[in-house]
Amino acid sequence: MSTTTPRRERPKRTDKTATPMAARVAGAKSQKAGAAHPRHNGRHSQRWLAWVFLAPTILGMGLFTLIPIVASVVLAFFRWDIISAPTFVGFDNFSEVVQDPTVRVSFVNTILFVVVAVALQLGLALALAIMVQEKMPAWLRVFFRSAFFFPLILSAASVSIFMRYLFNEQFGVVNWFLSLVGIPAVPWLTTPGGSAAVVILVYVWQNFGFSFLLFIGGLASIPVETYEAASIDGATGWRKHLHVTLPLLSPTTLVASVMAIISALQVFDQPYVLTRGGPGDSTRTAVMVIFESAFQRLEFGQASAIGVLLTLIIMAITAAQFRLSKRFVFYQ
Amino acid sequence: MTGATHGHLREITRRTALGALGAGIIGATVASWPRLSGTDIPGRGDNSLSIAIMGTAADAAARQRAIDAFTRLHPEIKVKVQAIQAVDWKDFFTKILTMVAAGTPPDVVYVATEGAQLFAEKLAHPLDEYVRRDAADMAEFFADVHPSLVEAFMYKGSLYQLPMDWNAANMYYNTTAFAQAGLERPADDWTHVDFRNSLAAMRKARTSDFTPYYWTNRLFGGVVPWLYANDTSFLKETRSAGGDWLWDGFYANDPSRSLRSGGYQWLEPNADDDRVFESFDYLRGLVKDGLGVRPEEGGGSSLVGLFASNRIGTTPAGGYWVQGLHEAGMGASDFDVQFFPRWKTQRHQFGTAGYAIMKTAKDKDAAWEWIKFSSSREAMELIFPNPVTTPARRSMVNERLYAGKGPAHWKVFYDTLDRFPTTGPIPAPPQQAAVETALMKNVSLAVSGDERQLKQALASMQRDLELALRRQS
Repeated sequence: MSTTTPRRERPKRTDKTATPMAARVAGAKSQKAGAAHPRHNGRHSQRWLAWVFLAPTILGMGLFTLIPIVASVVLAFFRWDIISAPTFVGFDNFSEVVQDPTVRVSFVNTILFVVVAVALQLGLALALAIMVQEKMPAWLRVFFRSAFFFPLILSAASVSIFMRYLFNEQFGVVNWFLSLVGIPAVPWLTTPGGSAAVVILVYVWQNFGFSFLLFIGGLASIPVETYEAASIDGATGWRKHLHVTLPLLSPTTLVASVMAIISALQVFDQPYVLTRGGPGDSTRTAVMVIFESAFQRLEFGQASAIGVLLTLIIMAITAAQFRLSKRFVFYQ
Repeated sequence: MTGATHGHLREITRRTALGALGAGIIGATVASWPRLSGTDIPGRGDNSLSIAIMGTAADAAARQRAIDAFTRLHPEIKVKVQAIQAVDWKDFFTKILTMVAAGTPPDVVYVATEGAQLFAEKLAHPLDEYVRRDAADMAEFFADVHPSLVEAFMYKGSLYQLPMDWNAANMYYNTTAFAQAGLERPADDWTHVDFRNSLAAMRKARTSDFTPYYWTNRLFGGVVPWLYANDTSFLKETRSAGGDWLWDGFYANDPSRSLRSGGYQWLEPNADDDRVFESFDYLRGLVKDGLGVRPEEGGGSSLVGLFASNRIGTTPAGGYWVQGLHEAGMGASDFDVQFFPRWKTQRHQFGTAGYAIMKTAKDKDAAWEWIKFSSSREAMELIFPNPVTTPARRSMVNERLYAGKGPAHWKVFYDTLDRFPTTGPIPAPPQQAAVETALMKNVSLAVSGDERQLKQALASMQRDLELALRRQS
């Protein structure tokens, strides 16, 4: 045990004033330290090894997440157009974006979008998950899981370009089908209501697959005995889902809703490609305004200020969700 | 005790050594930060003249014959063309600015009217000294190019680009749709009323799966040609002084010499002008009566296919459309082109493009040699063998270019400038991106509702434009 550190077993008595007793105490302490050292060294090297393995991730997160976040916050206090040197403007960017009607409308649009799109996304995903899990034979379940998840792996820009053709007022397939049943051409992408509906529809279609998979996993983890007990107690059909499935699925619902809300708050691709935020500002979202401020108007400071505000909103909503989850989420 | 302390010190020393190493790396990085840029990436920092164009790798390859010819003339200058894919010019400029921010700006950029003043104001180097120096060589170029195109690249009295190609917003029409409606080729001076009557006739002849007038919501070919025809614009247009050195030197005998200036200026919004309301109201009427589409923002990608399949009667476009229609299967006589309809004037809108030397260019003399070579007839014929655009040189807009492809009245393209010398460029101040957004976002609402909605949309446009022009000014 002590052979690993023989030099430390006998402390040198360099302190002339030390008594023999003190020396013995010191020696004992030293022995204790020496005895502990191999374990200490083991832990030490393990710790270094852990750092070595973690280093690439930490470095990546630092370079591509942490530093940009800090830089973005700092940039919110500067005026910078890429070309000229940045100038410090204090809180001017924040006061300008708060007064900008386009920014205000984009935030309202984003919140409304989140409310409608997330409700539809989660509702659709849950309904389809229950249907697939309960009503489908095993082989068909696999097919539907893949089919519903498939849109998620497609590029949102490509999907939006494709959808733009489908929803064209004059020549789109959607209006052609509607005309077969006598419905006149709907100006999907050129009226505020129509364009908002299409953006939500395309977004939900592309994103519900992820929530669907989460719900499938959650449903699979609910013990069959719970349903059997509910049946014995007389629960049938939707009452079982209302009183058993939904409460026991609440942890999954929490995760799915947190992720869906964070994702929806950052919506950009679909409105940008489908409508460019129009007509007017009807489909302009917060992230679109960030993009336009930074990369079209070269106001990187203002774009950062909007980004900081959006981050604060996301953090507040997520915190509220977790706080509320204490009341509405049941863990088995 | 001391021994323990000594051991402890040794541990700290080892840790400190490693820490110091890490700190040293970080410190060295920070210390050398101002010197680090994208050019430090191996392979990027060579001395070749880098030229950025909007397009694909195929577009870059298409310039290879011109590059080869240039290299034969100037073997000491190595040229590298970077093709940058973009949805539109605004997107392209965004990418160039990103390159500037990354420390890897190109030396020369192919810039369209939309970005001409942004580059002139912030990024580009004026060509005045070079044009003056090589006046003897340049005289032949200017003699072959209409001064309206050159004036579009004048900014505050200095010239920043030489126009290589351009396009006016003329009116294309589908000859089959016209024939079905019993319509003849419109007169050169047809009016906006004649135009509306033509649309109504086409609508009567084909009630479904057909749009008499298809237009897009963008800066070129959208609402602006109608505003110009009605002798107005959504921005107040003024001219800056200066530029006489160029006009007196190269265009002294041009009939439109007195019209020329030191460049266009758009300093104030004009969306509250009565004639702007009148123009929008006219378009609103076309939409309301089913004669024209509600314009989609950023639309236009499907336009060639729809026109080629006889589902569109008329649309504003320039010479750049000919090759696309030919490739889409339209015969030379299946379509034709006419001047934009007259209203109070028949002033047209055009866009042009040319090379700009960046302020940061490593070798500006070499960059100028490339621009000078590119403006030569030899280079232009290599770069524009097909009618994918209208060459800036009048002598190249000839029968040979349009042979077998149409349109029958291809002379309309260049005649637009000669017949209507006040024809003006796309209104694009240095704040073009914000101005374009302010225009586009309000156009759809303005033409899609009732009169009250139109007034609200124009008021909103005026406010947005004020904000856009105030920014970065």
